[in-house]
Amino acid sequence: MTKRLAETILLLGFIGIGTTLGLAFLKAPSVSINAFESPEAQRIFYWHVPAAWAAFIAFGFLFVGSALWFFKRSDLGWRMHVAGAEAGLATGLMTVWSGMVWGSAEWGVPWDWTDVRLNTFGLLTFLAMFLVLGRQSQPDGVETRDTFSTFGLFGFVLVPVTYVATRLWQIRHPGPVIGGGDSGSLNGEMALILLLGAISFTLFIVGHMLMSMRITSLEQRLESIQEAMDKV
Amino acid sequence: MTYLAVAYLGMLIAIGLWTWTVFSRSNDLEQRLQAVERSIDTIEPEQE
Repeated sequence: MTKRLAETILLLGFIGIGTTLGLAFLKAPSVSINAFESPEAQRIFYWHVPAAWAAFIAFGFLFVGSALWFFKRSDLGWRMHVAGAEAGLATGLMTVWSGMVWGSAEWGVPWDWTDVRLNTFGLLTFLAMFLVLGRQSQPDGVETRDTFSTFGLFGFVLVPVTYVATRLWQIRHPGPVIGGGDSGSLNGEMALILLLGAISFTLFIVGHMLMSMRITSLEQRLESIQEAMDKV
Repeated sequence: MTYLAVAYLGMLIAIGLWTWTVFSRSNDLEQRLQAVERSIDTIEPEQE
């Protein structure tokens, strides 16, 4: 039941992402040529913003899972931690990659080391990478889970910092286009395609996290059966 | 526009591959678990 649900949500999200990209490429209105160095590259925003949104959902999931494991010793919490870290890494890389493509076209450089948002988001992605690779290289146990959960808990501090970074220290990354006051500049058609992207990425990442939690549960079951067989 | 199309296509292929990996990991684990459970069922009656 959970498997079917997760697969359906994931596939719906995937189809939605494909549709969003098609609409972004073929239907979305062009932006003012004077405002951008590379106006066509702006279309990558229909991927970049929803991917960043999905990354924040994943990091939120990672935080809740880490807290549940650390304070309640909940197995469900650990599965959420694993799923959140994997999803955070994937969506973090999608965001960073799409941002670098846009940065290369618009700024002439893929990365700006002086920009706070770029660096805090990059650190978040590295944190997720550390958690995913670290878990794969360490034997599962209470100490390992405690260590990685601590990183999941404290690393979450970077999420609100990343969110407010362009409001407090706007260096190179553009300011918010939604909820950013007068600086917001989305017309109706752009907002609709962006909304479709946000919904699709949300479905996609929720489906992935449900699948990942199921995989961790299967791994644990297999491991416990094998341990029991070894003892016989 | 060409580099944008290539970037979009690359990203779609990447998330497609990731999704395929997750599906195949899930199926593989399910099959391994079923095989182990079947072998336990076979061993238990023999011991009785």
